Amino acid sequence: MTAISPPTARRPPVGLYATLLPPLLWMGLLYFVPLALLIVYSFWRLDSFEIVQEFSLDNFQTIFASAAYRRVLVRTGMTALGVTLIDAAIAIPLALAITRYGGRWRSLLTLLIILPLWSSYLVRVFAWKIILGYNGVINSALVGLGILQEPSSAFLYNSFSTMLTFVHVWLPFMVLPVITAFERHPPELLEASADLNAPPWGTFRRVTLPLVLPGVLAGSINVFALTLGDFITPGLGGGPQGIMLGNLIASQFGVSYNWPLGAAFALLVMVVVCSGLAVMLRLIRTF
Amino acid sequence: MGHRLVSAILISLLSLGTLLLPAAPAQAVNCMLTAIVWEGYTDPAFTDDFEAQTGCRIKATYAGSSDEMFAKFRAGGGRNYDLISASGDITERLYRAGLVRSIETERLTNYDEVFSPFQGGKWNTFDGQPYGVTFAWGPNVLIYSTDAVSPEPDSWNVLFDPAYEGQVTIPDNPMTIADAALWLGKTDPYGLSEADLAQVKEKLLELRPQIRKFWTTAGELANLFQSGEVVVAHAWPITEKQLTEADFPAESVSPPGKLTGWTDSWMISQKARNVDAAYQWIDFILSGAGQKGVIEATGYSGATELGTEAVGPERAKELFMDDLSLHSKINMWQSVKNYDRWVEVWNEIRS
Repeated sequence: MTAISPPTARRPPVGLYATLLPPLLWMGLLYFVPLALLIVYSFWRLDSFEIVQEFSLDNFQTIFASAAYRRVLVRTGMTALGVTLIDAAIAIPLALAITRYGGRWRSLLTLLIILPLWSSYLVRVFAWKIILGYNGVINSALVGLGILQEPSSAFLYNSFSTMLTFVHVWLPFMVLPVITAFERHPPELLEASADLNAPPWGTFRRVTLPLVLPGVLAGSINVFALTLGDFITPGLGGGPQGIMLGNLIASQFGVSYNWPLGAAFALLVMVVVCSGLAVMLRLIRTF
Repeated sequence: MGHRLVSAILISLLSLGTLLLPAAPAQAVNCMLTAIVWEGYTDPAFTDDFEAQTGCRIKATYAGSSDEMFAKFRAGGGRNYDLISASGDITERLYRAGLVRSIETERLTNYDEVFSPFQGGKWNTFDGQPYGVTFAWGPNVLIYSTDAVSPEPDSWNVLFDPAYEGQVTIPDNPMTIADAALWLGKTDPYGLSEADLAQVKEKLLELRPQIRKFWTTAGELANLFQSGEVVVAHAWPITEKQLTEADFPAESVSPPGKLTGWTDSWMISQKARNVDAAYQWIDFILSGAGQKGVIEATGYSGATELGTEAVGPERAKELFMDDLSLHSKINMWQSVKNYDRWVEVWNEIRS
């Protein structure tokens, strides 16, 4: 065996360490140190506008004792879950169509999916405000067609507008991994399945779906995590009672000067995302 | 192919970098004041004059509430900003946190022109030392779209009028609790007991279905009016100014006896980098040009005799700068003892 392995492998890999050092430093200073600070802050507390640097579980007690905070937690989780499911439901047929029937247009169609990502996220959120607003595109059209007597305020500033905006802005993050999964899916398997007399639905359920599921799960992790931590969309397009975890965190840091409580909320988000990730990885491995 | 694309991008980025590089030192020659302010206090209409006079530019961040101002000012230990236009509810908090320095009034040539009740006011003087220089004040008012709201409202009850359900906006600011306390007839809106707070909460929850959105900045509020989302608001007078300038039909009402408001003072950070320039800025705002600039940009009342002269006696009378009779009738924002509880109650109303 040793004779086969290349001689470079036995030399001390100085080059390897040298190449690894910059990214390690980068990750260490800009990722792990802030993360450690965040965890430390979450166990401190605020007392009359002063941060008290003593270990305490006050923040977590505050979060779980308050019915209002619990409501926000549940609302955020449900929204993230809902957005993920809707995006998956849109992405699977879309990716299937692009990869199977796209033909020579496949690259172009994929590019069109990514295209919105080239514009600012804020612009896309604002666009929905313009579409859904009281004097917006939808209302103007409905009033112009005589369907509505006067503009309706039912489209914007509620959980519907928040969901819709999320579904739209995060869709590319779901579609791309699903397209990749479909591309790797060998068409021979479909033929084999057909040869064995499986109906189309049976083929989809027992051959296609298991093969593309890792892509769907990867996309779900993207969409779920992005939604869970976002505060721009619920802030700009959400309703007066529609605030989410991200808004709470932003206001604890930027308005209330309650960094410890904000850090505790942020830690909670990370725990939720990490446990979601763990479950997903377990799921992927079983397929 | 891929390599060529990457190198092309890299080259264009590098050339962009070299384009930007020489620009930076050119700016550094002049001084750059940083400030966190209420919208309108650094309007280019008059800051250009200041720049021409002193060679200093002022770079401002707008805040949507006193709390936001405090949190942002404090976030960098007070190093991020030279100046803060603090309202009376956070001046003491800033002083107690050791974030601001006492004002050497002899460094301000216009200090004696400040209305005498504002020199040594309890909101800007601590331990007998002045820590802030008061330069503007005003009430929180009711602003409504004249097209959509009739007859002309004369009290805050219009916010609760079912005719305007889902078309009302109020500030996303715990200090709004003081307004609700006034609507309930409390005499001391800043000294509320637990029982009072419970009543206030009930009153504001009653207002919930009326509310389209809680506004956080004056810019956002003007936008809400213009896009037809709201027709009546609890707001600052600057919004009427902004809407009128945009030819949007809006007017304001100050329901007597039920007014909260603010008295704003410039304070200088303990860790300010440009102390001399900060004094020059304050002096400029106290001068006729500065006062006129602030008054015209915001519609707020000024605070110096030079300001009264600059806007003329008629305008000064409209703004109650001649006898300050309105100032004493407004329940000015001030430090709240149980403010932690206010924030909690507000968060419960919000979520």
